[in-house]
Amino acid sequence: MKFSFNWLQSFFDKKLPKPEKLAEILTMHCFEVEKVEKIGKDFVLDIDVLPNRTDCYSHLGIAREISSILGLKLKEEKWKIQEEKNLKAKDFASIKVFSGCQRYTARVILDVKVGESPQWIKERLEACGIKPINNVVDITNYVMLELGQPLHAFDLEKIEGKKVIVRFAKKGEKISTLDDEKYDLDKDILVIADQKRPIAIAGIKGGKETGISQNTKIVFLESANFDPVIIRRSSVKLDLKTDASMRFSHGLDPNLTEIAINRAAYLISKICGGKIAKGVLDYYPEKALPKKIKLEIEKVESLLGVKIPKSRILKILKNLGFKVNQKLEVEVPTFRRDVSIQEDLIEEIGRIYGYEKIQKQFPISALIPPKKNSEIFWENFVKDVLVSLGFTEVYNYSFLSKEDIENFGFKKEATEIENPASAFYQFLRPSLIPGLIKNIQKNQAEFSEIKIFEIGKIFKNKKEKKALAGVITGEKFFEAKGVIDALLKKMGISNFYFDFYQPTPEESKISIWKIKKSAEIKIDGEEIGFLGEISKRILEKYKIKNNIVAFDIDFEKLAKLATEEHEYEPFSVYPAIVRDISVLVPKNVLVEEIMNVIEEAAGKLIRDIDLFDIYEEIEEERKSLAFRIIFQLKERAILPEEVEKAFQKIIENLEKNPNWEVRKK
Amino acid sequence: MEKIDLKSLENKVRKKIEKAESLKELDTIFKEVFGKDGEVKKISKIIPKLPKKQRKIFGEKFGKMKESLMEEFEKKAKELKEKAEKEVEEKEWIDITIPPPKAPIGHYHPITLARRKIEEIFQSMGFEVVEGPEIEDEWHNFDALNIPPDHPARDVLSLGKTFYLKSGGLMRSHTSSVQIRYMEKNSPPLRIIVPGRVFRLDAIDASHEIDFWQLEGLMVGKDISVANFKAIIEEFLKRFFEKEVKIRLRPSFFPFTEPSFEVDISCVLCNGKGCQVCKNSGWLECGGAGMVHPNVYKNCKLNPKEWQGFAFGFGMNRLVMLKYKIPDIRLFNSGDLRFLHQF
Repeated sequence: MKFSFNWLQSFFDKKLPKPEKLAEILTMHCFEVEKVEKIGKDFVLDIDVLPNRTDCYSHLGIAREISSILGLKLKEEKWKIQEEKNLKAKDFASIKVFSGCQRYTARVILDVKVGESPQWIKERLEACGIKPINNVVDITNYVMLELGQPLHAFDLEKIEGKKVIVRFAKKGEKISTLDDEKYDLDKDILVIADQKRPIAIAGIKGGKETGISQNTKIVFLESANFDPVIIRRSSVKLDLKTDASMRFSHGLDPNLTEIAINRAAYLISKICGGKIAKGVLDYYPEKALPKKIKLEIEKVESLLGVKIPKSRILKILKNLGFKVNQKLEVEVPTFRRDVSIQEDLIEEIGRIYGYEKIQKQFPISALIPPKKNSEIFWENFVKDVLVSLGFTEVYNYSFLSKEDIENFGFKKEATEIENPASAFYQFLRPSLIPGLIKNIQKNQAEFSEIKIFEIGKIFKNKKEKKALAGVITGEKFFEAKGVIDALLKKMGISNFYFDFYQPTPEESKISIWKIKKSAEIKIDGEEIGFLGEISKRILEKYKIKNNIVAFDIDFEKLAKLATEEHEYEPFSVYPAIVRDISVLVPKNVLVEEIMNVIEEAAGKLIRDIDLFDIYEEIEEERKSLAFRIIFQLKERAILPEEVEKAFQKIIENLEKNPNWEVRKK
Repeated sequence: MEKIDLKSLENKVRKKIEKAESLKELDTIFKEVFGKDGEVKKISKIIPKLPKKQRKIFGEKFGKMKESLMEEFEKKAKELKEKAEKEVEEKEWIDITIPPPKAPIGHYHPITLARRKIEEIFQSMGFEVVEGPEIEDEWHNFDALNIPPDHPARDVLSLGKTFYLKSGGLMRSHTSSVQIRYMEKNSPPLRIIVPGRVFRLDAIDASHEIDFWQLEGLMVGKDISVANFKAIIEEFLKRFFEKEVKIRLRPSFFPFTEPSFEVDISCVLCNGKGCQVCKNSGWLECGGAGMVHPNVYKNCKLNPKEWQGFAFGFGMNRLVMLKYKIPDIRLFNSGDLRFLHQF
């Protein structure tokens, strides 16, 4: 909001600091001054008045602040209106308020000569960014800038029935405003009406037909206090914001209407030669009274952390317009609608005194160590493992587009945003996978191998969950499986296993996975995650050149299963004997089946079995698998005869299956 | 019986050893002396034929000579070996300017790096790290924070800035909601920070995001003051930016704090001298803060007469941008590996 430096100066006898200095003082004690601009002989301060300080949407308000910070006295204003004893306002017009208004004040001014405003008014309006129109309208704007009360002037002769009504609009009513715009009104919009039609959108903008023109003789001057909520809603609904609506929608002091209307009437009579009819038409059923607050000096000190002398406290509050006695009983002026509790007063004291004068001081508090957040601990742990395995961490948007949702078949579980930023961000992500795939799409031109992961919230059917997912480009299923294996083991989870993916026919139709190249990651029969290659359909949709292996894990389940407990297991000090065996089996035989047979035949003597070679091109129907078996005992050295016997038993058991053949070397 | 001159033999061999220039040469000499047909062997064959009296004396002398020559050989061998190694070392070299193959190491997202640092600093001052839901209700995001419906601040946040879900609920527009969730379950004294994602409806550009990170802090006790807030927050910023910084508080307005302030930090790029980033003011805006409003305690079923404390909410992305000189907020959610591989 723009303020004129010269205008502010006019409230004081003493000289104010230079505009830049004043701006700095206001920034540190009241409101941020965003800019100081020299315009002619004046300086314009662009002040970011806080939304709860409607009293400062005026030069008087800012002057009051300056008075308190600098300890300067405000000049006493000397003006008095002269009413015409023989002309009574109520004989010229009447008011009727139905709703939406805490106070409605009006005056009638006759024999007005509409014309151009004097230079000093035009200059001040223009400094504040308001275009001068004619003397009557300019005066209403001038008073708004001076005192903060929006006013409106009607041409009384154009008001049908000379009756001014405050009511909600009826459906189908329309209005043309002063700026030649047309608005359709409805029952939520408060209007000023005469007996026939709406003549203004209450608190927002006046109507064209009853506006002040060169021919206006009798002015009906309105100074009202409209309900902030109603004005705000109307303003949003009509998409129409004005200087008046901005002030009303933040709430004004009802006692200000009378001061402002008198000030405006005074100026009109002085400048436009009008006669002020006797009496104020005033609807004010419930008078706003000053609040009283008891201030405790101990609380001031304890909350701010600084001792401020009582005399200083009293001076600060008095200069801001509060009445306060030696017992620190404070009476809050009605224009300070933002002050209602002791803490509000402490803020006034603190900011005017200066936050910079409060010396920093570490709190004294019990030495209680902070609780460990186990989920964050495991999150960091997982990140450490994955980064050490070569993965780069990404953070993607929590939002997906409708297209993504359809491509991934998430329609049923996806949560839709009522007011999305754009179509790209219309849904909450039910999985981290789409984001990661889009990352590959974006990076594939620059990077041939990509390994990325994300930990973040996913949203399924409005329920949120923390998930972990990662992707690797290339034919890397077993690398990914190795990553899961390493990660889970590092987290102290050992009883996991990989199970075949068995989707329902319906699932498999929309599956984003290559069904036969996917596995469920399970613990005790419960699925905690998924590992697999991304389907060709998705790769094509997102124009991905390379194969992708992805894993998708329920992070919350994982963090619950993880444990830091770990026990040392003594290793064997006796030598091991290593034997290799090669088995020729049909192609559909699982490695696990063979390993189980070996295990069963000689489990007690075996420390480890490694698959070290798979050769598929040997025959059409069969593949060759080579295992390294390590025989070792913890309690004693194993004997070669034992190993030989066990090895023979293994061969024997393997060959019990007629389709399996042990290849002897 | 030919005369055996051990002395001259020894001298002759010693000279040969001395002259030897390579291990191979030394080896030849050794074989000549100690080999199968070597001089020593020859002499040792003669010894048994010597008269008994002479045999003992000669034998002793012979033995000493052998020993002394052996030592000489070993000494020379060591010398030559060292010399040879040195020569090899001098010849062998590698071009250390060759770029190495890439080590298969991954990278943390800069927000993670900042989070870890922030969490460590606050934990060292006794703050617990807490998280909360990203889908919120009106109560925790607004009402409990003293932002009732029809409050101007509510309108600004709810109509203009908050994402609503079609099925009800909203995406939290600040981490302050977690203040409420924590105080509903825990009694003061308390010290927490809440790093987390927040969501605001906005036009995305270099400095505006719709999905970004906030750092919330809350400390409540019997007599926690503005002076305490200044100390804690300055300490945090000092450690986070690893340099001396100044802070200043400017008056502000938030419905959930009273008094409220904006926290400015002396520009970390120009150290307050004035630069492009701080628009020559020497100060950077960090975020909002204030003393928790009594109504917030009431809404959490705590007695405002009993407790007081501070709360703050900083933009984490902004802190990270300042720390690493990142010019564009959109990079955080971009997934661009050219960006992420730098951290």
